[in-house]
Amino acid sequence: MKGIPTVLITVSPEVSGQMRPPRALYPKGFKIGNSLGRPGMRDLQKKVLRDALSLLTQNTRPGEFVTLEYPEYGEQYEPPRVKKL
Amino acid sequence: MTTLSRKCVPFTPFDRELSKTTIAIVTAGGVHLKDQEPFNIADELGDLTYREIPPDVDSSQLMVTHHHYDHSDADEDINVVFPIDVLRDLEAEGFIGGIAKKHIGYMGYTMQLKAMYEGTAREIANEIDKASRADAVVLTGG
Repeated sequence: MKGIPTVLITVSPEVSGQMRPPRALYPKGFKIGNSLGRPGMRDLQKKVLRDALSLLTQNTRPGEFVTLEYPEYGEQYEPPRVKKL
Repeated sequence: MTTLSRKCVPFTPFDRELSKTTIAIVTAGGVHLKDQEPFNIADELGDLTYREIPPDVDSSQLMVTHHHYDHSDADEDINVVFPIDVLRDLEAEGFIGGIAKKHIGYMGYTMQLKAMYEGTAREIANEIDKASRADAVVLTGG
């Protein structure tokens, strides 16, 4: 296997970061369960997916998380933190 | 089997145009077909299995079995965690080249990290590599 390029959409960047994904998009303020946005917001969902896929073609640093803001999402949420042991 | 440093980021370069790229979705959000066996949420250790989702799936036939996030929004519109209809829109507008022949749902909660990382994750990667014809994968969580 030569490997398959991947891009992650995550609403928990700190938690996901522990797995060291090669490319990741954090749509800022989206809550857990809303990786692409809210139900029925197809235009927003398309925008998020286009932005995530576009990371494949950009010269991102391996392991880099890109944070983008989507004001149309509405109310913002704090992402979960990794519990310090 | 290749062993990677725990600090290594396994980065595969992407050298295509998106408009000629076939995309698969792999979600940890507990997504599966209504007529597939639900994930076992009774087992506190989690469920290491995964479900194959066909490319022509009717998104109304998908559901979520996962008890570690609030999936009420996904129950209403599965695209918030498994963007299959969104992918179809992007294909229709020519942004991507196509939709892979196989997509995967699993329940991304486990207390068996080693088995998930060394077993399930490799099996899913093989499914995608051998049978989906995907050029790239979008990963989503809950």
